[in-house]
Amino acid sequence: MSVTCAVRVGALSLVNPVLAASGTFGYGLELAEFCPPEQLGALVTKGLSPKPRLGNPTPRIVETAAGMINAIGLQNIGVEAFCRDVLPALAGRGATIVVNVFGETMLQYLEVLERCEQEHDIAAYELNVSCPNVTAGGMEFGHDPVQLERLTTACRSRTRRPLWVKLSPNAPDLVGAARAAVAGGADALTLINTLRAMAVDADARRPVLATGCGGLSGPAIKPVALRMVWEVHRALPETPLVGIGGVESGRDVAEFLLVGASAVQVGTAIFRDPTAPLRILREFQEFCAEHGIHDATELIGGLQWR
Amino acid sequence: MDLRPEQKLKRRHGRADNRAGREAVAKAAQVTHNGAGMIARRDLRVSVAARDELSPTCFRLTLTSTDTLVAEPGQFGMLTCGDGFDPLLRRAFSFASVARRGNQTAVELLLKEVGRGTGRLRRLGSGETLRLLAPLGHGFALDVAEGERLALIAGGIGLPPVLFAAEVLATRKTPFDLYLGAARAAELLELERCAAATAAVGGEFVLATDDGSRGERGVITAALARRLASGRRWARALACGPNPMLKAFARLAHESGIEAEMSLEEPMACGLGVCLGCVVELADGRVVPSCQEGPVFPASRLAARWWA
Repeated sequence: MSVTCAVRVGALSLVNPVLAASGTFGYGLELAEFCPPEQLGALVTKGLSPKPRLGNPTPRIVETAAGMINAIGLQNIGVEAFCRDVLPALAGRGATIVVNVFGETMLQYLEVLERCEQEHDIAAYELNVSCPNVTAGGMEFGHDPVQLERLTTACRSRTRRPLWVKLSPNAPDLVGAARAAVAGGADALTLINTLRAMAVDADARRPVLATGCGGLSGPAIKPVALRMVWEVHRALPETPLVGIGGVESGRDVAEFLLVGASAVQVGTAIFRDPTAPLRILREFQEFCAEHGIHDATELIGGLQWR
Repeated sequence: MDLRPEQKLKRRHGRADNRAGREAVAKAAQVTHNGAGMIARRDLRVSVAARDELSPTCFRLTLTSTDTLVAEPGQFGMLTCGDGFDPLLRRAFSFASVARRGNQTAVELLLKEVGRGTGRLRRLGSGETLRLLAPLGHGFALDVAEGERLALIAGGIGLPPVLFAAEVLATRKTPFDLYLGAARAAELLELERCAAATAAVGGEFVLATDDGSRGERGVITAALARRLASGRRWARALACGPNPMLKAFARLAHESGIEAEMSLEEPMACGLGVCLGCVVELADGRVVPSCQEGPVFPASRLAARWWA
């Protein structure tokens, strides 16, 4: 049985619903031998800032039960180096490229967007307003609906490309943040980013990470992510959602689509297995075939609530 | 799935010598490599051929694969610790040896049980299968001019890449002296192999234990310092061990003007340069993933905190 896997996230057509998440797939080419980026629904780049960033001190990562905590601090090569050194090769392969945009201030977000607007071959932007590991920018926009709407509106005015906003599970009012992003002109919402978390070294009586706290990812957070996607989908049924959080299998993809996501991002699973997105896609196709699903879009929002 | 191919890889500064060596090895073994000086990385299916206890805390895992693997001393692999989500991540291990055995590749790892991952690996049964992403990173520079010698220094479970280097050097008839230290006699691993490799090139084999239960009393870098003070010199010194040892080593090398390379161990999630967890700060201010530009670094490339 053939399964049609193409999906749409708003106006953007994707060949399949499995994407590589920001911060887990480099700039798109690093893992090409294991996972050709053009075979993904899309790849989301590491968060790009106007200038290169060195990130946080080490240790930056620690494994926890069924998860890991990271505090990388958005180390990245900067938007200029990405556009100059990476984008041509990535576009040449035919990959669908979503640029994750980060700034410490609104002006910095706009700076990244404006540089990217000079390039062809970028399919969409994902605004990172949810990174828990930086002292300025990121989460502070995502937690305040007023600031978030203002930022989204400003970004909206600079581009006609699809604009996604990646929401924070740490926001005091997730649905409020979602509404603010949509009011500002977001085409889709990505959720969730990592959950603020910490690990403690009881021998040393210190936090394990140099920054004290970081963001939890991996299978441990999947139930939280499903619940949040479902809540936002119920509140904003017309808004396309991109689900992320602990996706490890084709069945996980189906679960996220059922609660309302139009596509999913695979993140931490890539650290375990660089071929994970393609394996997950294959498993998802098998799931659909086994369940008599001809078109993946049949699943989207199809959860039957008791 | 085809796991070969063109990949973008950073070239290492000032290591053309090593690169030529890698290319020669790759050519000899007819292994695909990516044209950037590194043999292509693959996710090998490996099975447990043997598991041998070496000390109260350490054991040797011998893995075999029908896939070809060629690696140089200092390179490493990312090994799964079984199925399931706990432990979630692979573990990074430097190879103690990689060799062809018939139509198979045999990989030896020396491991210390420190947590859930290594605990699970210690309880593996013969024949169980795992995945090994390899070869990763850059190894030690083993080439020396005619008549020159190397010094190899290992502390505790830092031995694997040093043992690998010793046995490769012994095969090549490159002279070296070997310094091996541990907390106590029972934690000195693979003594016979170390002694045999060193003897094969007429080198000095120096042992040290913190408690003096075997060899010289004290840390191995103190034993090295005594030789340096009496005027011994080497073309290059190569080391792997815990960070305090490596810092002492880097300081000694810096003070005595000896070229030094050290294999660092940083917490690592992916081993492929994308998680950016294992970064190391370099003297030029760059912050680079040690899985890509290391794990072996010339001490002179590292930020001053390593030797100051």
